[in-house]
Amino acid sequence: MTRTLAVIVTTLSLAGCVTVKPSQRSVLADPIMQFEGDPQASAQLRHAIENREGSYGGGGVAGGGCGCN
Amino acid sequence: MRLQLTARLRLGLTRRTPAASGAAALALALAFPARAQVAQVDTAHTLFHESPTRTNMTVYTPGVDVSVTPAEFLTVRGGYEADVVSGASVATKAGPSYQSVNPGVDVITTASVNDVRHTPRGGFTLRKGDVEYTAQYTYGTENDYRSHAIFVGARTEAYEHNTQFEISYARNFDSVCDRVQSVNDTPPRFRALEDSKGCFTKDPLRRTRSLSIDGFQASWTQAWTPVLATQLVYTAQLLDGFQSNPYRSIVVGQGLKAQEHHPDNRARHALALRINWFVRPIKTAVRLMGRVYRDTWALTSGTGELEVERYIAEGLRVAGRGRFYRQTGVVFWSDDYTGGDPPLGPKGQYFTGDRELSPFWSAAVGLRLTWAITPAPKPEGGAPRLLGVFTNAKLGASGDVMQFSYDEYTLAGTPITNARAYILGLTAGAAF
Repeated sequence: MTRTLAVIVTTLSLAGCVTVKPSQRSVLADPIMQFEGDPQASAQLRHAIENREGSYGGGGVAGGGCGCN
Repeated sequence: MRLQLTARLRLGLTRRTPAASGAAALALALAFPARAQVAQVDTAHTLFHESPTRTNMTVYTPGVDVSVTPAEFLTVRGGYEADVVSGASVATKAGPSYQSVNPGVDVITTASVNDVRHTPRGGFTLRKGDVEYTAQYTYGTENDYRSHAIFVGARTEAYEHNTQFEISYARNFDSVCDRVQSVNDTPPRFRALEDSKGCFTKDPLRRTRSLSIDGFQASWTQAWTPVLATQLVYTAQLLDGFQSNPYRSIVVGQGLKAQEHHPDNRARHALALRINWFVRPIKTAVRLMGRVYRDTWALTSGTGELEVERYIAEGLRVAGRGRFYRQTGVVFWSDDYTGGDPPLGPKGQYFTGDRELSPFWSAAVGLRLTWAITPAPKPEGGAPRLLGVFTNAKLGASGDVMQFSYDEYTLAGTPITNARAYILGLTAGAAF
């Protein structure tokens, strides 16, 4: 548990070292780079697929990491 | 019916009609100055069809969402979705061992399924600085199932907007129609629900079983470079209550069939990692997803997805995708509870005929076209609009084919080798 927490904290801290400037986010802001570009369509497809499987969860959330949503 | 049951376990659901949700959204919108007013309308339609041995299922899912942003700090939304289900599902399930000692008897029966699930919903998002708070309520109703669901979530950004964290909680208060059983009977002698007549009424032959679902989700989205972003999502879900298909019977002994009997409690965990990478030399976005899942019924699964997408004209993009899924069966899964060599035979006090709880793998491929339409600027200046109304619009179409391969699931010893599903999708959206 302690090791897991240490990994999480270290990884999140590393994220702070990353600097993608606003002027460099044009690609990340493009619809082609969104994790859930069309949330309603994605949800319906996931709904159809998950009804045929025994597992659930891990669905994506909207946004492309550009901080522009 | 199983289709509807599983769907219901995974959705949040409400009481207002779609018209009422939309009216509420518009009323709230009009209550604020029109300074930042933006309205968005989206509709999506999905058609699912599969027709494996002895069963078939067709589900049409229309949906519409309306959102209004009357001020920068507030978005109000309302929506409606339905599942129009028709087909034939397995009503009595037996395995090869039972069939071998009863060769002249066809023990597998099917029942026609026709139902419509209505799910209106409404909610809002509040923004303050880099933080967003969202709340939503959804109601679901159909002949044999009702659901109330609340959802609350919060999202924030950090490290110069390169990092987003989101947490959410959802709670379902669901009710399932079931048959009244004899007082002295135990699950191996319970009889399955015949039909949905009398459900949620004072019919003395019907009773209502409860199911509560608590869901938690946390996600971390990170931009690493101008062309690379990742998303890590953890989901946990706790279910407490009736989780069987009340219509399905299982042959559990010679001449004895009983209503499917699942445990009341289930805890599920899933962890998914997504990677979005834009490959500049070929101007293509590559999306990878890996997911692992485990629950307290000992079902373990893994999922891998690959999607590539690129522009083929201005605003028009095409995506191709592939998906592979593999799962183990639950600990109480058996293709035949009456006996036979392992893995057949009884598995404790629970029994199921649900093929989604058996070990299997599936593979899917699909294509999607998306056309984002942006109006050309006016020569005389001013805000350009499509048809004089819309600031932008979007159309989409998709098609997917899924093939399932079951390791153990049979219908009285007949393997299901032709389980192939076809999924078509259409979407449209506009802002004004």
